Amino acid sequence: MKTEKFIECERNKFQKLINIRLPHRFMLVGITIALLSIVMMFVRAFAMVGDTLWLKLLLQKTVLIGMLILSLSKDKIEDEMTISLRAQSYAIAFVIGVLYALIMPYVEFGVSNAVHSGGESFKDLGDFQVLLFMLIIQLMFYHNLKRYR
Amino acid sequence: MENTLKVERAILSLTQDDLAKKIGVSRQTINSIEANRYVPSTVLSLKLSNVFNKPVNNFFKLTKDD
Repeated sequence: MKTEKFIECERNKFQKLINIRLPHRFMLVGITIALLSIVMMFVRAFAMVGDTLWLKLLLQKTVLIGMLILSLSKDKIEDEMTISLRAQSYAIAFVIGVLYALIMPYVEFGVSNAVHSGGESFKDLGDFQVLLFMLIIQLMFYHNLKRYR
Repeated sequence: MENTLKVERAILSLTQDDLAKKIGVSRQTINSIEANRYVPSTVLSLKLSNVFNKPVNNFFKLTKDD
């Protein structure tokens, strides 16, 4: 009996975890955070002098946070179809993200060496680049799946 | 799976939007179900059954592909 209760409790917690969504009003919060961060990135790149590497790293994090909030926010009318479309978009983003992380370093290396002889050395993608790409793909696919439903 | 949702809706003189509001989904979801692009869950099917006051089998039919 105790084991069954424990399993039931685990199942309930797991269900709550997979159903995690933010209210619709957070969509605006996410857009605001992401846009402000992107604007600040341009300001940092073109209008600020001195050592601002810490700001660059901070802004990369805030862009990701803003896009994650946007991705987790519910639609105005959230129903079982939008939940299914969102799940599809996450699956697609995951697969494309893994392919991107595997292939893109070779593409960058190849292009760099084709353009300049003895170009950049081979290096893996950073976490920011992969996560940003996955979030962009998820949001784009979700938007398109909703448009063509 | 095919359905006669459009016919059932017409019998009750309901628009897609009216039906969507009655069962708590978006109008686009009703449109997708009617166009056989989306197969609704059992819960949604039973909600439709309540609105049309008919068993689910009356407006959802299996096809050869199912």
